[in-house]
Amino acid sequence: MISVKKVDNRPLNLLERLYLPEIARGLLVTTRHFFVNLFNPKGMPTVQYPEKTIPLPHAARTRTRHRLKVRADGSPKCVACFMCQTACPAYCIRIEAAEYPDNSVEKYPAVFDIDLSRCVMCGMCVEACPEDAIAMDTLEIPGGALTRSEMLMTREDLLRNLPGEAPSVLGASNRLANEYLKSKGEQ
Amino acid sequence: MTATLLAHKDLLLFIGAAALKVLVFLNGVMGFTALLTLAERKVSALMQDRVGPNRASIFGLALNGLFHPVADGIKMLVKEDFVPGRADKLLFALAPFFALVPVMALFALIPFGDYVMVFGYRLDLVIAQVPLGVFLVLALSGLAIYGVFLGGWASGNNFTLLGALRGAAQMVSYEVVLGLTLVGLMMIYGTAGLQDLVRAQGKLLFGFVPAWGIVVQPLGFVLFLTAAIAENKRTPFDLVEGESEIIGYFMEYSSMRFAAFMFSEFVEIILVSMLSATLFFGGWQVPYLYDTGFVLPGGAALPLNHYLVAALQVASFSAKTVFFSWFLLVVRWTLPRFRFDQLMTLCWKRLLPLALFNILLTGAALLALGKL
Repeated sequence: MISVKKVDNRPLNLLERLYLPEIARGLLVTTRHFFVNLFNPKGMPTVQYPEKTIPLPHAARTRTRHRLKVRADGSPKCVACFMCQTACPAYCIRIEAAEYPDNSVEKYPAVFDIDLSRCVMCGMCVEACPEDAIAMDTLEIPGGALTRSEMLMTREDLLRNLPGEAPSVLGASNRLANEYLKSKGEQ
Repeated sequence: MTATLLAHKDLLLFIGAAALKVLVFLNGVMGFTALLTLAERKVSALMQDRVGPNRASIFGLALNGLFHPVADGIKMLVKEDFVPGRADKLLFALAPFFALVPVMALFALIPFGDYVMVFGYRLDLVIAQVPLGVFLVLALSGLAIYGVFLGGWASGNNFTLLGALRGAAQMVSYEVVLGLTLVGLMMIYGTAGLQDLVRAQGKLLFGFVPAWGIVVQPLGFVLFLTAAIAENKRTPFDLVEGESEIIGYFMEYSSMRFAAFMFSEFVEIILVSMLSATLFFGGWQVPYLYDTGFVLPGGAALPLNHYLVAALQVASFSAKTVFFSWFLLVVRWTLPRFRFDQLMTLCWKRLLPLALFNILLTGAALLALGKL
């Protein structure tokens, strides 16, 4: 909604043009803030991240640190199609594809790195993923590291399901994988 | 040898005492300056509902940011010391000293206490007792312009030269007002020595009001503080630097040379605070405290030890200095910056006539009271 603010552009009166009373008023405001915050530091909105965290407010929950989903059989849901790497505006994703030795139908990511120091948290990788393999729903905020290597998420850091989450068995590659696994079990 | 030493006993004692005072007082000031660089950031943070720097730590001990001045110092020392190719090498190297030395020299004139008797030897708590201290203060603070101007000119950069021109114009203009505001004080107390001015402020008006400068010269104080902040090149008069928008005179400086300029600005805050306290808030005076102890106007008296009185007076001066330093920080983080023409208008069309009017008023009042 567009709101209209009406500005009162009246000429300054004598007291205001003297400047000093207005300075005193301004000083009063800042001094009040100073003393209130000095004696009641808990009242400030600052959170001492990363030592302390707070529950994220509504909209902030939609894009948090990435994870790669895991199938029911423990393999990554990702098929190394490079869609997220292509979509990423910050070039922070690096994928190296590999093939299962006994499944010539689909690939898997041998390397899946996300450099969180470059990530802009735009969520375009999630939008681009055809397999629903990458998600940004861990409710963790990246950051607060002292070195760049601490900000580099490798495949092992990323691969996990959320607690209580039923691993997906849907999707083309899942079906193929399940069929493959089933056939392997029948033999 | 011993005979020669004994013959010059007074001189040697004087030198020893002076060296000791310089060591103690200047170290105190330097320590306070370092803390002030932190206080600047902490005070501004608290005023803006932020926490401020609190991460620099030694062995995991952060103490809410107390080590940040140390971290800043180390950072300044290990940074590259860059000298532009077109710079005047000699003047470029000299300018930071010109900025720092006059300001440091001024502390010699400031009385931070009355006197202490040590083994029967009277130790005046001021480094240099100069009969016309006020004039020397004005003269030395005038020298600080050289640091600004040489720094801007020697950098060989047009923008720094413009910054230096702004700085010189501003400092020369406000120097005039600064001098004229102090005339009223000298007329009333009849002296221009800083220690004598403080002693004169220990008297009582009407039997109960301390005769501090703020009581007898309220207009003079407002003008002095305004001119002093401008002389100090702090917001709202920081067009000389204008770090974020207009380029200042020390743009080409880096590393420790830049730190010298920055440091001199913080030292100047302390100096302005000390001068305000000395000239207008009774310096080391505590109301109703005399050589022998407290004597209240009603007649009630509380005799105190000599050393306790001296300690109270030094503590009073320190407290006033800390208060004014804090006040200057609050002013700096409250007011928006002036435009340069507004700055000049304020100086020449508002403050200068008011300062002259103040002198006239003081003279008229003294004449009416028959004290002229």
